[in-house]
Amino acid sequence: MSSRQKCRLKVPERDDLVEAELVDELSKDDLVRAHLDWAPVRLEALKRLHAAKRPWPEHWHWDWSKKAEMLDLLAYRCMGIEQGGRMQGLMMLSTIAVKGRLAVQAGKATLYIEFLESAPWNLRELVGIPQFLGVGVRLLEAAVVFSEEEGFGGRIGLHSLPQSEGFYRKYMTDLGLDPNHSQRLRYFEMGAEQVRYFLEGRKP
Amino acid sequence: MPNGLTKRTMTLNLSETEMRALESLSVQKDLSKTAVIRQALRLYQLVDSRLSKGEKLFFEDEAKREKAELMVMI
Repeated sequence: MSSRQKCRLKVPERDDLVEAELVDELSKDDLVRAHLDWAPVRLEALKRLHAAKRPWPEHWHWDWSKKAEMLDLLAYRCMGIEQGGRMQGLMMLSTIAVKGRLAVQAGKATLYIEFLESAPWNLRELVGIPQFLGVGVRLLEAAVVFSEEEGFGGRIGLHSLPQSEGFYRKYMTDLGLDPNHSQRLRYFEMGAEQVRYFLEGRKP
Repeated sequence: MPNGLTKRTMTLNLSETEMRALESLSVQKDLSKTAVIRQALRLYQLVDSRLSKGEKLFFEDEAKREKAELMVMI
């Protein structure tokens, strides 16, 4: 059974904040519903990008309905942020700890984020002006809190697609290209000290 | 953030040796004993699921160029 917690997202068009809910455990049905809601919007946006000969987001092919079967296993957990009855962002976590790579926490249990995505209408590269801002940060906060609840000290890690590296570099340490990763992506990690600053809303 | 999962309590009977192993892992990994057991269960279920689909589990030592399949009785 999932629980919901209030959070806030920014509405750039009105320069205002709106209340949303973090859902801490999504079901397979939730992911299928989100996919069905997102897919047509993403397709339309991709058509526009194609016509304008502009690059597509690197994760354009992600299909959360296919990721849903991961939730049959205890090893995965999916969280989302809902506003106006629609999922504004999704995050798939691996609940099996990975070893921390930052020197200060080498070998310590760290929560790994498998996938994190904002709804297509919240992506600047797809729609110009996003409907909501802050979805990614709210999801990162949720990952940090979950990591603390799991006894991982708030430590989180992930591999980033090149287009998202700038976002993660704001909050996490870039540990460089991972030669062992199947796509040779860069690995980012947030350590205990960064977690403290992150949750206080400040950059270290 | 409240955890959505309802927690249930059980008594776990372990031998001295098993308890020492659990305590050792708990110290090594800086995790509570409950967290170690949870990790083990998640990993066991994941491995079982992959093996059930016909996949194999290997350990590889790149330095020695050794690769051995882990035979698991499930």
